[in-house]
Amino acid sequence: MEAAHSVASSMGGVRTTGDMVMRLQLSKKMRIDEAKRYVADKLGLTLEEICDVVTMSEIREERGFGLGHQEPCTESTMGMEAKFRIAEALDIRINSVERFKRHAGIK
Amino acid sequence: MSEKKYFTRMGDGSIIYMTAEEIWEDMRDGMDDAVDRGKIPPLSEEELQKIFDIVTMPGGVVGVNPMDAVVTTSDSGSDKIPTKCGIPISRDATAMIHERVLGCDSVDIGNPDYNYKTAKGIAKREAAMLRLALDKTTIPLYYGAMPNLGFYTKPDGPVDNWAELLPQGKIKEALAAQEEAVKHSVNDILFVAKQTYEVGADAIELDTSGAAGDADFLATLQACEKITKTYPDMPVIIGMSGEFILGMHGRLEYDGQRLAGLYPHKQVKLAEKAGASIFGPVVNTNCSKSFPWNIARVCTFIKATVEASNIPIHADVGMGVCGIPMCENVPADVVTRADKCLIEICRLDGL
Amino acid sequence: MTREEALKLAFDSVVECDEDMARKALAAGDDLGIAPLKLLTEGFGAGIKHLGDLFGRGEIFLPELIFSTEIMQLAAAAIEEKLGDTSTNAKGKMVIGTVEGDVHDIGKGIVAALVKSNGIEVFDLGREVPADVFIEKVKETGANFVGSSALLTSTMTVQKEIEKKLQEAGLRDQVKTMIGGAPVTKRWADRIGADRYCEDASDTVEYILAQLEN
Repeated sequence: MEAAHSVASSMGGVRTTGDMVMRLQLSKKMRIDEAKRYVADKLGLTLEEICDVVTMSEIREERGFGLGHQEPCTESTMGMEAKFRIAEALDIRINSVERFKRHAGIK
Repeated sequence: MSEKKYFTRMGDGSIIYMTAEEIWEDMRDGMDDAVDRGKIPPLSEEELQKIFDIVTMPGGVVGVNPMDAVVTTSDSGSDKIPTKCGIPISRDATAMIHERVLGCDSVDIGNPDYNYKTAKGIAKREAAMLRLALDKTTIPLYYGAMPNLGFYTKPDGPVDNWAELLPQGKIKEALAAQEEAVKHSVNDILFVAKQTYEVGADAIELDTSGAAGDADFLATLQACEKITKTYPDMPVIIGMSGEFILGMHGRLEYDGQRLAGLYPHKQVKLAEKAGASIFGPVVNTNCSKSFPWNIARVCTFIKATVEASNIPIHADVGMGVCGIPMCENVPADVVTRADKCLIEICRLDGL
Repeated sequence: MTREEALKLAFDSVVECDEDMARKALAAGDDLGIAPLKLLTEGFGAGIKHLGDLFGRGEIFLPELIFSTEIMQLAAAAIEEKLGDTSTNAKGKMVIGTVEGDVHDIGKGIVAALVKSNGIEVFDLGREVPADVFIEKVKETGANFVGSSALLTSTMTVQKEIEKKLQEAGLRDQVKTMIGGAPVTKRWADRIGADRYCEDASDTVEYILAQLEN
């Protein structure tokens, strides 16, 4: 079922900026249009760009926001590393990032 | 020449063919049922036309424009691959599959025994699994389970079983049992919330709220309120189980509003009041009715909910709800049409 | 008072949970020569059906339904006494339970309450009930209706087992089987040979009453 939703109607998570839009809905209770606008503004992109797989695959790799694939870009940021960058770019607090900093002794 | 018939399905997934007239009749009938039950406005003719166009679109899979795409919360997501599909992989791996293969925007880490009473007993282990997944994934991850108040009844729990007391006419005892179960449930949910927050959960989900009636929904609201007060940066997702709150108690209130009998557009206001970040309304699929009947009814309810809400609405588009048939392997033709209707007509924030 | 007014009084007594009103309706039925069974089904019974429909729409709640059940039982008892036997209820006996492996019994409880309120004798087996126990109870009570509830796709299979064991015990023709629960559908009922998929409590009652009439 997830696959059907994904194909029909979902932003696709890390394939575009779906994960980021999702974070704004969770942390700031933004409705979909507002959340997309916020992400687009923060990243300096258009609405069309943040919803486009091809554009965002490149931008995510360049800016270290995490990808859904690790070949041929094994050296790209993934997982927790990517979340550090997302938190900074979107100016939001990500709980797991704060936990990581706490435990790693990073100020 | 015989009239053109369109492929569609019944609420149990069976294939049927309907004429345009039959589809329109079913759509209006389904919409009227929602209007009557929920005391909500009907859809416009334009909106009904849109539903008709989507239902009768050729092709198996349909979709929305990329710029209209929404985000998804996948409840019991980490459970499906190992439990449903029988592929024995760990939940951090399933989270990665949801992220990198299925293109999900978020997913939950939950226990196969998907309820907070069980989760409380193994909360630290659940938190450890969540932490592992959080280090590996980029998408938001949250812990999900059901309040499932029925689990607190004897012999599985400490309180008397109100489902048995009520038919015996022991009303006072039945009401007291439900009120006691609420306290146990809220404590358990809070305990799990604490463990998962401390490892960095992006949210916590209280899923299928109201499954055991109004007391079950009350437990959810009280737990949500306490979580958001104790951990202000722990978002709470509330997902419902049925289209109205079953009045097993009948007298329980939250913020001065009686819970029994509330439909989604009223449920969401209480979820907001309790501090929820995202609300997932449910509209039951009627297995004896067609997909056009069901989806028109669903859109009527969900549109009213979206308009009433100040927080994001992620309609629960899963097996047996929001127009999706009640069958184990859900057909993509119906799923994608339901998605398109909900997004384009109801202006949904997510699924 | 006319016959229609007496039937309406009986209806209202159930809807408003008014014992005095119920007694007045019974007295009026006597005075006007209304057949006791007609008063029970078209007066009091219609009231319970109406409440069942309202419950299914979320407009009234289970405790209110239970209170009304007590009025219904009062009326049924009075009518039974008049008739000098238990023929009002004798035809309808139902065995009901949530199947083995499943602890969800909220819906089953609602069905049991509503069916009972319509004058059918209900044997509620509780939850996590093996198929054999359903069969034994049917043998013991001579029940003519068997209702099973399953809330999980993994426990639905017990409903199929119940059908099979009823056949093996030579009881299948004696009963009408009804299945319900969130994942259950008409398609599943057809596949396993159950007589009826019941969408909700009201649907169950309507089916049973229709069967008894036939």
